[in-house]
Amino acid sequence: MSLHDFLQLALRSLLAHRLRSFLTLLGIGVGIAAVILLTSIGEGLHRFVLNEFTQFGTNIIEVTPGRQGARGGPPGLPSTARQLTLDDALALERVPHVTAVTPIVWGNSDVEGAGRVRRTSVYGVGPEMQRIFSMHVRVGRFLPPDDPNGARAFVVLGAKLKHELFGNANALGERLRIGGERYRVIGVMEEKGQFLGVDLDDTAYIPTSRALSLYNREGLIEINVTYEEAVPASRVTPGIRKVLVARHGQDDVTLTTQEDMLARLSNILGILTAAVGALGGISLLVGAVGIVTIMTIAVTERTNEIGLLVALGARRATILRLFLAEAVALAAIGGVFGLLVGSAIAQFVGLLVPALPVHTPWHFVAAAESTAVVIGLLAGVLPAIRAARLDAVEALRAE
Amino acid sequence: MTPADTLRFATRAASGYPLRTALMVLAMSIGVAAVVVLTALGDGARRYVVNEFSALGSNLVIVLPGRTATGGFGLGNLVTSTPRDLTVRDAQALLRAPLVTRMAPLSVGNSEIAWGGRLREAMVVGTSGDYVDIRAFRMAEGSFLPREDLGRATAVAVLGTKIRDEIFGSEPAIGRIVRVGDRRLRVIGVLAKTGQGLGMNTDELVFLPVATAQAMFNTNNLFRIIVEARSREAIGPAKQQLEQIMRLRRDGELDVTLITQDAVLGTFDRILGALTLAVAGIAAISLAVAGILVMNVMLVAVTQRTAEIGLLKALGATGRNIRLAFLTEAALLSLAGAITGFALGHLGAWGLRLAFPVLPAWPPDWAVFAGIGTALTTGILFGVMPARRASRLDPVQALSRR
Repeated sequence: MSLHDFLQLALRSLLAHRLRSFLTLLGIGVGIAAVILLTSIGEGLHRFVLNEFTQFGTNIIEVTPGRQGARGGPPGLPSTARQLTLDDALALERVPHVTAVTPIVWGNSDVEGAGRVRRTSVYGVGPEMQRIFSMHVRVGRFLPPDDPNGARAFVVLGAKLKHELFGNANALGERLRIGGERYRVIGVMEEKGQFLGVDLDDTAYIPTSRALSLYNREGLIEINVTYEEAVPASRVTPGIRKVLVARHGQDDVTLTTQEDMLARLSNILGILTAAVGALGGISLLVGAVGIVTIMTIAVTERTNEIGLLVALGARRATILRLFLAEAVALAAIGGVFGLLVGSAIAQFVGLLVPALPVHTPWHFVAAAESTAVVIGLLAGVLPAIRAARLDAVEALRAE
Repeated sequence: MTPADTLRFATRAASGYPLRTALMVLAMSIGVAAVVVLTALGDGARRYVVNEFSALGSNLVIVLPGRTATGGFGLGNLVTSTPRDLTVRDAQALLRAPLVTRMAPLSVGNSEIAWGGRLREAMVVGTSGDYVDIRAFRMAEGSFLPREDLGRATAVAVLGTKIRDEIFGSEPAIGRIVRVGDRRLRVIGVLAKTGQGLGMNTDELVFLPVATAQAMFNTNNLFRIIVEARSREAIGPAKQQLEQIMRLRRDGELDVTLITQDAVLGTFDRILGALTLAVAGIAAISLAVAGILVMNVMLVAVTQRTAEIGLLKALGATGRNIRLAFLTEAALLSLAGAITGFALGHLGAWGLRLAFPVLPAWPPDWAVFAGIGTALTTGILFGVMPARRASRLDPVQALSRR
């Protein structure tokens, strides 16, 4: 049988039962659409979270006190018997490949200015902080590179805090009170928005040494280090560890590279997307059962047609292929239909809820469509074998 | 046609094509089973978290240092410092609230514990003797921290089982002197095994008197204060009393955050409930697909049985009778699918419980009813069109067709 005849036969049998074919397509289509829609949302979320994390730059290493493996507890506990100090941070500046270091302490206190009081987060940071986290000053300047242990009482305000205290008035040069101490405003940051539910604009930045005394602390909460773009983190961390071991006499810090964190995060989110896709896959499975059912019916109905074909000399392999082609065509067309509908709904959801990022991942699209075809093949095999096995004489006599 | 006739017609039609019927029932049951299993998973997770929180103790109010006026409750509040520390004196003052029964201050940090050449990093919790009762822990050996003045830095420690095993092995621990950070402390007790709880494994903790821990960490402030209210109903009023006390101690300014266990629980309950609902909804899409399949097959059945319908009509059956017969068939198929799916789903949930014994994976009643209900509704709904088509057939044409 020529390819042309082959296609014609398969297509004609689909067209002969238009409603039935349409409903089968619909079944597969809904399944594929569900998979596409769900993975689109999952992938969008994935990208959103990764973007959130990389907005601070990717070549950051976070140094926190206490070795991780201080098991039993969550990371970031406030106290430790092993403090990280300002001098530790200074020492890290000399590690090879390191470009900037900022010691960080944060806390929560009243900020009084222009007759208003706001209780907000106050960060004690080094002058390099804005460079490390790729943040920008909108007006004025960032904290100057003073002597780390005796920095002047300057404060840089986050956009929201500036607005809450001073409204639209100029804040530069104004005096503020933070936890009872007087500070002079020398800069206002650009808006940065929220990060995982924490408002990054509702903050004040003061020199680390001042924050340490304000919060009556000895040790830093963390030290953040950036390194040269081209160098992998694995070449920088040993240097940092060596310096701190030399200073502390033992290995008692935790280093977290942004690369590690992103990889871990990406892993988790990838699994999530796949899980959600599999959930949608259940309806694809049901659609497959639909194809099996319809093809089984088709074989029964067309027994005498098959008998005729066999009597005319068609080989069993041809008949097998004919039914398989029909099943695959059903699944494939249904798949394309589902792809279109699924991605259309995904885009629509994206427009409707701008907060929810939507992105249709093309490898999932390809996977879903090939799944549909494979399902068609599998679902077609059973009825096709049945058709091919029919005895020509019996089949012709069947009707 | 009598109802019995209708039923016979439908069952005969279904049993006449066993493979086809089996496939339709399979499709329906996959959908129902998916709903049952997934809601069992979601609800199991919800119950697990709720149980974990209840295991923290009951009627708790947690006092955290710091308060953000604008941002509300954020991650930043969890680990933070304020110019005015939350101190042991604050903690003691909280006991003056009439609705408060017990209180435990917590000062938490990382340190190391060493004995006989073995050294472990461990999380150290400075607290008071009441902590063991608030959290309802049991002791494996010895006793918990003494109930004494919170300012006294007694040199004693209580270990979690895992720490005990790692440091002492099979040797007795009680009465030994261990080094924790820069202090030498006498081990006076070992907690019974409790296992993993929300982010903290109590088996790997070392408990010290709060003053000892504060001296070790060179700090005055507390990480948390855990307060136990007299009863469940008293949580709300107790929270107000506590706020009042804190405000008085801080010259009218409230710079601490109070969270009640109920509020946290409620949040988790809502989030996980919504998640379960969403997952069930996604699984229900497969029920719609199954419905489409039922409709498809019923349409085929109508075409195949045209002659039979013609005969019935010629014998005086009304269109309504025919419609009813086909609808009954669709309903029977859906019902069979729903029941099979229900059984399969419960089997799946049972498998989940076997695989993850900590997860109480029981499908909630609402989900079972919703699953079966949706299956029946979709089946019947999608059966309407074929049934109408059958009832509209012209008897003469139908008979002459074959």
